[in-house]
Amino acid sequence: MKILLIEDDDALIALLTRSLSSQHHIVDAVKDGEMGWTYASTFDYDAIVLDIMLPKLDGISLCEKLRETGCTTPILLLTSQDNTTAKVQGLDAGADDYMVKPFDLAELTARVRALLRRGGTNPLPLLSWGDLMLNPSSCEVSYNGQQLTLTTKEYDLLEIFLRDSYRVFSNDEIIDRLWSSDDFPAEATVRSHLRRLRHKLQAAGAPHDFIGTIHGRGYYLTSPQNSAQFSSRHLVGPIHELPLLNGDRINFQSIQTNQQQAEYLAFLQETWVTIKPQCLESLSEIAAIVDRLLLSNCTYLEQQQIHQKTHKLVGTLGVFALTAAMEIAREMEIILNRSTLLSPAEAFPLQTYLSQLVRAIATTLPSQKPDVSSADLPLLLLIDLDPNLIRSLTEIAENHRYSTISLSSIEAADRYLFSRADIHLPTLILVNLRDSSPTLGFIQNVHLRLPDRVILVLSDRDQLTDRLAVVRHGGKFICTTNLTPAQIFTAATSQLPSINTTAKVMVVDDDLDWLRTVPKLLQPWGLKITTLADPQQFWNVLQSVRPDVLVLDVKMPEINGLELCQVLRSDPQWQRLPILFLSASQSSIDQQEAFKVGADDYLFKPMMGGELAQRIRHRLARLQSS
Amino acid sequence: MNKRLLTIDDEESIQIVIKFGINMVAGWEVLSASGGRMGIDTAQRELPDAILLDVMMPEMDGIATFKELQANPMTAGIPVIFLTAKAQTAERKQFNDLGVSGVITKPFNSLDLPDRISKILNW
Repeated sequence: MKILLIEDDDALIALLTRSLSSQHHIVDAVKDGEMGWTYASTFDYDAIVLDIMLPKLDGISLCEKLRETGCTTPILLLTSQDNTTAKVQGLDAGADDYMVKPFDLAELTARVRALLRRGGTNPLPLLSWGDLMLNPSSCEVSYNGQQLTLTTKEYDLLEIFLRDSYRVFSNDEIIDRLWSSDDFPAEATVRSHLRRLRHKLQAAGAPHDFIGTIHGRGYYLTSPQNSAQFSSRHLVGPIHELPLLNGDRINFQSIQTNQQQAEYLAFLQETWVTIKPQCLESLSEIAAIVDRLLLSNCTYLEQQQIHQKTHKLVGTLGVFALTAAMEIAREMEIILNRSTLLSPAEAFPLQTYLSQLVRAIATTLPSQKPDVSSADLPLLLLIDLDPNLIRSLTEIAENHRYSTISLSSIEAADRYLFSRADIHLPTLILVNLRDSSPTLGFIQNVHLRLPDRVILVLSDRDQLTDRLAVVRHGGKFICTTNLTPAQIFTAATSQLPSINTTAKVMVVDDDLDWLRTVPKLLQPWGLKITTLADPQQFWNVLQSVRPDVLVLDVKMPEINGLELCQVLRSDPQWQRLPILFLSASQSSIDQQEAFKVGADDYLFKPMMGGELAQRIRHRLARLQSS
Repeated sequence: MNKRLLTIDDEESIQIVIKFGINMVAGWEVLSASGGRMGIDTAQRELPDAILLDVMMPEMDGIATFKELQANPMTAGIPVIFLTAKAQTAERKQFNDLGVSGVITKPFNSLDLPDRISKILNW
């Protein structure tokens, strides 16, 4: 069990740590009340041993403070004052027990054991589960009378399960409980301890699933009575080694099991714990340079250095499946990817991204199925609007599953839209008609260069001349007088071509994970998705769905995408159907082949939903205009 | 069928993840090097079946490392796959022109790596 020791006497710390550790407890020791508060409020402990006389914050006050904040961890107070007033004061402050120095070590460890019993669901001095017995005072474990020889960690693992025998413990929780707060296990250590423990239990006659696994959640003790039938339905035992495989060519994807996916995710989450501090440190280094960029007090070399750091971060966050954080880092990288020094105005958005990124890193864990990230949502670009309106529109847009970017001027918008190749292009652009001539120039430019984007001009002047000028330059006009932000939003989004909301997209791919993801990626864009994994069914599904666009995988077993494309191109009814290929293969030969047989576009996986939706809409727009 | 790979990446975390994923799915041996220089030494010593090489690394970047591997007859025959967080067409073309065997873009799921590597290298 994990114990926090708050004591300022080094000799006593050493003594207590030694004797508590010999009882298989993990001890974090801190030397003043404030540190005690920090540790106790940050980490989970099974018990706290607290000296009353402490520097900075005394034990009684700390005890009160902990109880006020709802902390229920058992607390044992230590003091040199042997009088009733002090004891009463301590117990009234919320302590559970009280010991006077000098004390007998054996008594102290026994009292700690008693406190630990109180914390768990099992109030008995001997812990048992089915035929398993664990004696915390002698640290002996037996199954059906047979002694088990366990390592410290195996014993600790078993003890936390037995103390809270109806609970599911996640990997993180186990790490928190079994390792001191300074060290984190370097690898998938929990699992290997668990594996060995399961082996030993099984060798002693316990069922193989004595400790069960719930994927994505953790481990728990299976019910002693019905563990066997339970396991066949809900649980999976320890991971099995893959059999040695022979043969010329193996599709590893097909032998990847859900269990492996879960194990891999658990591994990412564990490893992430150790990587996170480095990422945050790297971010603070980036932040320091960004601060100086904003003050025009930074060299180009430094800017390049943080560009590299950001680039690395994109890779790391991505590999750790922190998709949302990765997207933010990617936005930053795009800004930093410049051959000249950024001006303070250009560097300005970095600050916002940085704080978003810190938040994203601090609050998310690696997950296999990321939420739809901002890059997958339609984007609303707000230019030079009133700060209150920006706030309201951002909120409304979020509720309607739009993402927003706000830029302070036409110049900034110009740079955003036209100076970089791979930005997330807005679906809708809202601009304030403050100064007519630059605004009109901008509208015209957008209209010419991004003909399929809708640009709306907001103005509180309701004059025909303004309306006329905006329309002549390719924009649309909304008079904002008497309109609420919600009405402005509705007026704006109603200008979007209805093509978005009705288009039917059929996706044919043998990659089932991708097929599961794709509707989630494209639905926010108003596209209706039909997925098909079996190309044999292609013609039937095609006839019944009658899609507006087809997205094909190049390589599929039995019938490949190129062949399907040829079939369609030779049919009078379907020869004009827009066909996009999406491939994981980087081969340029495939790409050439695809265009040769009549592909309209060829894209590489992985692909963001937003980009894919954009490409699909381009195809549809082109078809309509032709 | 049991392969030996060398990953050259200055990010230790990425190496750990790659190694874990490949071990789990394919059981291949994965050697690691944290920089170009060390990677070249390891490649000469261990002669792996393929190299996964990060493009952006401090001191000696992936392209310089690749060129040096190619210049040495001992290592010239080892297929190299670039790992990069960028996926722009221009860059991909540049890699093709260099003669790398393939490119895998970050983010990737390490469990997919054996499959992607096998496809690229026709294993």
